[in-house]
Amino acid sequence: MMYKDSRKINFNTLSIIIAVTAIVFVVSLATVPAYAEPQMSKKVIVMGFDGMDPRLATKMMDAGELPNFDKLRKRNGFKPLGTSNPPQSPVAWASFTNGAGPGTHGIFDFIHRHPEKQYSPFYSASETIEGEGAWEVSDHKLQLEMWPFNHIPTQTLLKREGTPFWDYLDAVGIESAFYDLPANYPPSKSKFHNHSCLPGMGTPDMFGNPGTYQHYAEDGPVRTRDEGGGKRSMLFFEENEAAKATLLGPTNSFLKDPKPITIDFVVHRDIQANAVVIEIQDHKIILKPGQWSQWTQLEFEMSMPWFLPNEKLSGICKFYLQEVSPNLRLYVTPINIDPSNPAVQVTEPPEFIEEISEKLGLFYTTGFQEDHKARSNNVFTDAEYLNQINIVLEERLNMLEYALDRYEDGLLFFYFSSTDLPTHIFWWDSDEKHPIRKADEAKKYHGMIKKIYRKMDEVVGRVLDKYDDKATIILMSDHGFCNWKRQFNINTWLRDNGYIKPSDCKTIMSNEIDWFQTKAYGLGLNGLYLNLRGRERDGIVKPGKEREELLNELITKLKAVRDVDGKPVIRNVYRSDEIYKGPHTYLAPDLLIGYYRGYRVSWAATLGDMDEEIFKDNDSAWSADHCIDPLEVPGVLFSNRPILAENPDLTDLAPTILAEFGVDIPESMTGKNIYKKQ
Amino acid sequence: MAFLTLLITWINIATNALGKHAFSMIAVLPGWLSNTIISAVLGVIILLLIKYTSNQKAISQAKDYIKANMLALKLFKDSLAVTFISLGKLFKGVFLRLGLMLKPLLIMFIPFTLIVCQLGLWYQARPMTTGEEAMVILQLAGEIGSPMPNVAIQPTSAMDVTVGPVRAVSNRQVFWIIKAKENGTHNLTFNIDGQQVEKQLVIGEGFKRVSLERPGQNAYDIMLHPMEEPLKSDSIIQSISIEYPDRISKTSGTDWWVGYLTVVSMAFAVICMPIFKVKI
Repeated sequence: MMYKDSRKINFNTLSIIIAVTAIVFVVSLATVPAYAEPQMSKKVIVMGFDGMDPRLATKMMDAGELPNFDKLRKRNGFKPLGTSNPPQSPVAWASFTNGAGPGTHGIFDFIHRHPEKQYSPFYSASETIEGEGAWEVSDHKLQLEMWPFNHIPTQTLLKREGTPFWDYLDAVGIESAFYDLPANYPPSKSKFHNHSCLPGMGTPDMFGNPGTYQHYAEDGPVRTRDEGGGKRSMLFFEENEAAKATLLGPTNSFLKDPKPITIDFVVHRDIQANAVVIEIQDHKIILKPGQWSQWTQLEFEMSMPWFLPNEKLSGICKFYLQEVSPNLRLYVTPINIDPSNPAVQVTEPPEFIEEISEKLGLFYTTGFQEDHKARSNNVFTDAEYLNQINIVLEERLNMLEYALDRYEDGLLFFYFSSTDLPTHIFWWDSDEKHPIRKADEAKKYHGMIKKIYRKMDEVVGRVLDKYDDKATIILMSDHGFCNWKRQFNINTWLRDNGYIKPSDCKTIMSNEIDWFQTKAYGLGLNGLYLNLRGRERDGIVKPGKEREELLNELITKLKAVRDVDGKPVIRNVYRSDEIYKGPHTYLAPDLLIGYYRGYRVSWAATLGDMDEEIFKDNDSAWSADHCIDPLEVPGVLFSNRPILAENPDLTDLAPTILAEFGVDIPESMTGKNIYKKQ
Repeated sequence: MAFLTLLITWINIATNALGKHAFSMIAVLPGWLSNTIISAVLGVIILLLIKYTSNQKAISQAKDYIKANMLALKLFKDSLAVTFISLGKLFKGVFLRLGLMLKPLLIMFIPFTLIVCQLGLWYQARPMTTGEEAMVILQLAGEIGSPMPNVAIQPTSAMDVTVGPVRAVSNRQVFWIIKAKENGTHNLTFNIDGQQVEKQLVIGEGFKRVSLERPGQNAYDIMLHPMEEPLKSDSIIQSISIEYPDRISKTSGTDWWVGYLTVVSMAFAVICMPIFKVKI
């Protein structure tokens, strides 16, 4: 009996399951959009031109100077692209990555601080966390992760939060390859091995810095001197016209007292021949003034405790001879991680960089390749910087060829920094006096930016020729550009208005600041932080009413700031609790200052220093910027398909790419598909 | 020493003739194939040399001796005394076997070194191609600090000097960067205070014999760089070298070719052991 009943029930259940499945199947066919299944053979090419400006691009297209970009414009494939707030590259590229604003990725500026340490700045996109515990052996220390030692090793962590859009492609088996992707170092892991990435901006040199050149000259300082982004040393020639010098390399962190590993080298000078021979390790390099060496592979030998063999780290650098006599000047690029034998993991997967190097040889691996610091610090002249820019560009054009040759299906992303770092130095689009150049020179060097844009147009032409009818092509920039004429020191302004105490305080970096009387401080390029109780170590501003009143007061006062000639300085002040949505707002500044074109926060204020005056002229070679109000500096968006979105935004690109591949757009993304009317 | 350098120079004359013709197939075959064929032939030659220069009977006995003691180790592992005695005998057997191989290895050492040096001329570097640049280094003899002579390269249609001469006084070296213009095997002529010295320069595609250095009176250098006649002992020049480009290949490229040759020749030797009934 029981047996019979069971059979009956099973039969009924089966009938129901079949019926429901059939209904679901029919309904699915009728309702599921055409792209519901991931489109594995689809091609999407995204090219990032960092800092490409829509005003200049439009002007050049109108003048017929950018025929390939213009071709896309004529197809309704051009719009200014809304940038992030603040319009800084790490923030913007992280927003591009997440398809959502800074509240989802937690990057709000180039520089962040640890509130619990009151003031402790670090690079926002990655941070090196010191290890804990070590086994000390003579002069050395070893960190052993295994039991019973359980030491915690020093680690560099990617600080970007949230899920990058390529993870969704990875999960459904769509391949993606990224070249020079900003704000992704150390590279995020690919769970399903369909994603490869060479990270760009944020990738350090062998010092662990964004890029530290070394400069040697007969009139250099006797003791090696640090200057932001570089080191200067003296060369002393003996009677036989040979000078010994030392190249500083990565720090040996196995030493109890960590020191840089050094390599000695000799410069032989032949004044008659107007040339030098550089002897370094097994290399002999001949250079005449104005000549660059090839990439030189160097082995940095890291001493280890006596019972372990010394470790060898491979780094690469180029030498550039500026002058032989009377003052020999020699520039050495930052020591880059050797792509053919990387000392640390640079790419995802780790072997990706070696595969590229096998085809292309050696190349810049630091995130900041154009050595703008060498120009800002007057190591390079304009012409020399331009020369170095061209070397980088040629390398990257070769890499693009490699990327295109290797590309079959899926997503290809390629990034150019040539439209950004050179632009900071050479852009000047007005008749006003340039910070350091005469009018004709300013015009000449602004012309170099146009030259780079034309070169990029050629690149676009080549990609269109090959893929216009086969792929969706998106060309974009993270922000635009404008002249930077006047510096505004937010911390001086806060001090002079009584928000930073004492009134003779010159920096928030030392003990001279009285945190128990300080209500607010500026850090980074757009951020203003309240000294909030419960958040900052020595916070005094009470959350709630006091915070609200202070924020409103600061917004009102800042908007009213006028330059000495009466010009308004600040276009808008944004409250982060109003503009940021998402789970990662803990490190966000309380206020974001959006400057008008021509103004920016002063260099001193970015790391908490105060100038004598609130305003001063920008007198550096860095004559253009974009860290102002985001509405002033949108980026560009081009596509080979009509862009239907009215006001496309950086956050729209990730969802658009996912939609192109037929992948569902996750709820965490706030952006919309640019190919649909919004 | 003078006799040794003279002897090696004479031997080089013979090995050069042999190397040029016996290995001429390298010029026409793909690198991996030529190196594989040469490795296979060398493997067989090594095997035959071992067979006819070693005491095969003694080697066989030594092998049996080792086997017997390994068996004893296995069978009497509970007996400490037998284990120790067998271990001692095992080591004795191994050393005996190595000793028996010493004679063929010594006999093979010089001829094989000469062959490897000849193969190095083909594989270690590639000729310059037209338009390519390379560094030329001239090492002067004499005390450091003594006056440097006037040195120049005579102009030739084969190449252009793009940089140099550049003198590194403290090393008594003179440097040039040259740019290849014309395919072929050429001679660069150096004028040094009226004295003329030549160095071969090879420009072209594919596999050609390339001499990296014209050596001075140094036995080791003469053996390593056999192609060109060594510089005279009273020459003001110690050596002349050209930094030819590396050949990129895992089977026949710079530095890799030696490893490939070693592994493949050993593999062939092992494979052919039963065929030729050789005991090692």
